[in-house]
Amino acid sequence: MSQYDVIVVGSGAGGGVAAAVLAEAGKSVLLLERGRELSTEAIGRDHLRNQRVSLYGHNAGPDIDGNPRTSDDGRVIRPHERGYQNNAACLGSGTRVYAGQAWRFMPQDFRMASIYGVPEGSSLADWPISYDDLAPYYEKVEWELGVCGDDRTMYHLPKYNRPYPMPALPLPDKSRVHLKGLEALGWRGLRMPRLINSIPYNDRPACIYCQHCFGFACPNDSKNGSHNTTIPRALRSGNCELRSQVMARGLLTSEAGRIEGVIVIDAAGTEEVVTAEAVVLSCGAVESARLLLNSATRREPNGIGNNSDQVGRHLQGHYYPGASGLFPDDIYDGVGPGGSIATCDFNHDNGNVIGGGMLTDSDVCTPIVVWKSQYPPDAPRWGIKAKRFMRENFRRINDINGPVHEIPHPDGRVTINPRVRDRYGIAVAHLSGTTHPETVRTAAFIHERAKEWLRASGAIKVWGVEPVLYLSGGQHQAGTCRMGEDPATSVVDKWCRVHSQDNLFLADSSPHVTNGGFNPAETIMALAWRTAEKIVNSW
Amino acid sequence: MLEPRQVLTLQALVDTIIPEDDYPGGWESGLGDYLLGQLQSDLRDSLATYRDWLDALEIEADKVFQHPFAGLDLASRTALLEAIEQGDIKSDWPVDQAGFFAQIVEHCTEGYYADPGNGANRDGAAWAMVGFEVTA
Repeated sequence: MSQYDVIVVGSGAGGGVAAAVLAEAGKSVLLLERGRELSTEAIGRDHLRNQRVSLYGHNAGPDIDGNPRTSDDGRVIRPHERGYQNNAACLGSGTRVYAGQAWRFMPQDFRMASIYGVPEGSSLADWPISYDDLAPYYEKVEWELGVCGDDRTMYHLPKYNRPYPMPALPLPDKSRVHLKGLEALGWRGLRMPRLINSIPYNDRPACIYCQHCFGFACPNDSKNGSHNTTIPRALRSGNCELRSQVMARGLLTSEAGRIEGVIVIDAAGTEEVVTAEAVVLSCGAVESARLLLNSATRREPNGIGNNSDQVGRHLQGHYYPGASGLFPDDIYDGVGPGGSIATCDFNHDNGNVIGGGMLTDSDVCTPIVVWKSQYPPDAPRWGIKAKRFMRENFRRINDINGPVHEIPHPDGRVTINPRVRDRYGIAVAHLSGTTHPETVRTAAFIHERAKEWLRASGAIKVWGVEPVLYLSGGQHQAGTCRMGEDPATSVVDKWCRVHSQDNLFLADSSPHVTNGGFNPAETIMALAWRTAEKIVNSW
Repeated sequence: MLEPRQVLTLQALVDTIIPEDDYPGGWESGLGDYLLGQLQSDLRDSLATYRDWLDALEIEADKVFQHPFAGLDLASRTALLEAIEQGDIKSDWPVDQAGFFAQIVEHCTEGYYADPGNGANRDGAAWAMVGFEVTA
């Protein structure tokens, strides 16, 4: 007799949904989270240590000591350092500190290989499911967690069956400026959907337009994440037990190699075996792959689900090409979250580049964000001239940028490095390779569109960084436990069940075959919903 | 930690990187406490280079002006740092004088424009200056 029906490992976007759906259906659920349960005050407003600017650390974990990763250049990387590919480690994970962009992927995003062909050396592939398979679950997420937006403006998608439950957030001044730019170019625009209450919803208040949305916790609980939607629902059902500050060190297996639970270790270092009928991994693309690879059995000596050497491969996130513009007048009014107008004219059908991405105006930027990433390269950086430049132009600078649909490469991957251990003594994730170079071409194309949009909006000076090849991942990490029909080329089936196990599922971004040209949170949630429902209906 | 004489050099340096006008200069904004705190924590690996760089700055000032850096007026301090930035140096520097200066500039600016909770940007003066208002 197992202790639980299901253990869900990780409480982010996917884990929260999985726990809620399973617990509300009557399954007994143990939800594990390696991070802490953080209050809004504890997350704080440190402009140098947050999930957007992590110069010296993070506000939502993981702790900078005791959680290293390694890379091919021999570095032992701490969570706030370049190349770590960090995602928050706290109850709710990234949903605690994201800005809640709530995008559905487009129908074409599920069929990239069919539409574009497979570039040499890439592992570009179609998803085994379609937009139509996910659409009902996108709708559930929008209504159950709460998404604001305007479905009538979503010109790039099939018609919605139901509108969003809340209207779009109001337009800040600078978004009105960018809307004029779109009109001048003849590009179409839409109102950005967000997992934010634009009006009171689910017994919580409406957004108060603060300046600390992206990278911080919400001051009035109007931003919808796992911590205030799905996890409370799971707990209210009476069927879910939550344990935070507990690390999964490996999967528990029977003599025959079948999943029987999870081996956990708490903050004091005490190890414990917890048994369950099924296990759902929602640790994020890097950590879910690491957990599988750290769980070898005689039947699967290279890690569970890894007999075809697919676990950890195809790591992708999003290149974020964009540009900054200097405007002749103030366009900043401090109305958060900020980014409100987007165009999906360049997600597909871009001539000879593969795919594309959504472009939008940027969220409210703190002064240090402007200094570090939006400051013109030829402006003075010290002395009275630099001080004057910030004083005169902070309110006149704005960005256009967006996530580019990456072309995956099989060697962009997560492996484990047994020579380096984390604070629990567990072998750490090793990161290597890059995405496929075609991604750079697409990103360069989108970079030019961002500059075009800024000029059309009236910017008197436009600048930005040319995209270069690198391994992305970060907060949008995906792809490491690829979904597919063929166990030789994928890790999970179309229900996100590991091919080699009948009771092990993935509910995070790791099954994403490709990651769309959009922030992935709503897709992670929709897919987790579908997977959890399948588990419920299976037994 | 820094010697008292090095702190004097640092103060003059900080007030050259972010001079006072109708908004506070770097030191008045709290950058002294901020940087000395950082050099014992996040930037502890840079402490030795800071000491070497500040000492070298005084030697350079002595070569060029026959005067301590901390005693020079803003225009002279600015001119000296511009020369250092451009590689126009008169003494032997034990560190990459321009590269490390760029790092010091970033460290100062991080403190100046970050939240007051970090120790500088006292009373949010830098935010008031640029027009970053916190409404909630």
